[in-house]
Amino acid sequence: MDIKKNKYYKLWIKDAWPYITGAVLLSLFQIITLTTTGNPWGVSGVLANWGAWIYEAFGGSVDKWYYFASEGAQKTLESGFFNHGGSLRNLGIIVGALIATLLASGFKIKKIKSLKQIIAAVLGGLLMGYGARIGFGCNIGALFSGIASLSLSGWVYAAFLFFGAIAGSKLLVKYFM
Amino acid sequence: MDEPKATGIQRSSTRTKRVRKKKKNQLPFGIAVLVLAVLFGIMLGTRNQGMPIFWITGLAFGYILQRSRFCFTASMRDPFLTGSTSLTRTVLTAFAITTIGFAAIKYGAFVKGLPIPGQSYVVPISFATAAGAFMFGVGMVIAGGCASGTLMRIGEGFTMQIISLFFFIVGSLWGAHDFGWWKLNIILKGKAIFLPDIFGWIGAVVIQLLIIAMLWIAADKWENRKDQKEFT
Amino acid sequence: MKEVELDCLGEACPIPLVKAENKLKEMEIGDVLIVQIDHSCAMKNVPEWARKEGHNVEIEEVDDGEWEVIIEKVK
Repeated sequence: MDIKKNKYYKLWIKDAWPYITGAVLLSLFQIITLTTTGNPWGVSGVLANWGAWIYEAFGGSVDKWYYFASEGAQKTLESGFFNHGGSLRNLGIIVGALIATLLASGFKIKKIKSLKQIIAAVLGGLLMGYGARIGFGCNIGALFSGIASLSLSGWVYAAFLFFGAIAGSKLLVKYFM
Repeated sequence: MDEPKATGIQRSSTRTKRVRKKKKNQLPFGIAVLVLAVLFGIMLGTRNQGMPIFWITGLAFGYILQRSRFCFTASMRDPFLTGSTSLTRTVLTAFAITTIGFAAIKYGAFVKGLPIPGQSYVVPISFATAAGAFMFGVGMVIAGGCASGTLMRIGEGFTMQIISLFFFIVGSLWGAHDFGWWKLNIILKGKAIFLPDIFGWIGAVVIQLLIIAMLWIAADKWENRKDQKEFT
Repeated sequence: MKEVELDCLGEACPIPLVKAENKLKEMEIGDVLIVQIDHSCAMKNVPEWARKEGHNVEIEEVDDGEWEVIIEKVK
């Protein structure tokens, strides 16, 4: 039996799912997350911790920074990666996507094509990282979770995210295509 | 209009001569990684009981994002860049479902006199919110992926997103470093607004769902508006 | 009836779609555009856009993680 022709393999594993399926399932897991962890899904906050751990590995210290000064933040830093739920969740996203891709035989290493891509990744990454900290989150924590949490901040974030995306699109077409 | 493509699109015969690499079957690798992931989850559980749920939900989010090609970046970018709002409407649907689910959970805690979960995500609104969101919007479009999208694409094999993630981390650390300044000078001037505090629980949910519905209609019209332009 | 190949391998989202749109504009009715992509987003958003515009679209998986989106310009 050729598994590639199996109806259920194609339906659940091989073929791309409709967007609406994604919306429903992501919502389901958002609700599961809030229920089981006491907080909604967040991605970018974790990355600040990853930065702090890397910085500390090179001899730096963030203990005097306001951002890491609270008891909770200090405890998180001290407990490390494998005791930090958010870090494991972020790693899980990478692995989950990898599993999805491999099971569908769609994995391919996409190497960097040009200097433009590198500059775009550097600039884009920096903007996202900094913006997420001062905006209290990213497209997940501030937008998705913020709106779902009935916080007005989510909507304000959405509006300016939208304007930023428009500005970004103009830059993309002009400089990065 | 769907037409049965019995004969398929005519292609010149020279095309099919291109050498196709023999397709490998990656299914065994996928199963291997899945098994390792399960073992990893079990190991996590033995060290710290609270961790497996994070690992599992992470795997689920990654799997779902990849399978459905879900893209928050596209939801914000495409209305302007390509005129398409299919992902915009999809994201709005996700907002609607989670609004109902989250409201139910929060209300349930409230009514029992328990602390409401997730309230730390109800954050002050200030110029920092606007600036941060704007920066994030620019960054995600340029980098070809938002926070979740970047992680997902690393799993798919995109090396560009590894660079993006690294600088996302650098930017986050930089932002954390400056956060004290922002908090003191800007964020403290702002206010956190939990919609049920203003409109009541039912009012807040109804109003939010109505807004989502109106945005959905606007997005739908926007996508089709471009079609109408084509026909005239 | 011309056949044009558009190599978008390794391009970041949404570049394959924008390039395909621009290329198709230059082509004549009846021409066929073959967009080579390895981006999972593009294997959805390029066909979606082309179908919405009314063209005939076929997608072929040519390798692990590589697709060809074949668009026949109809109008």
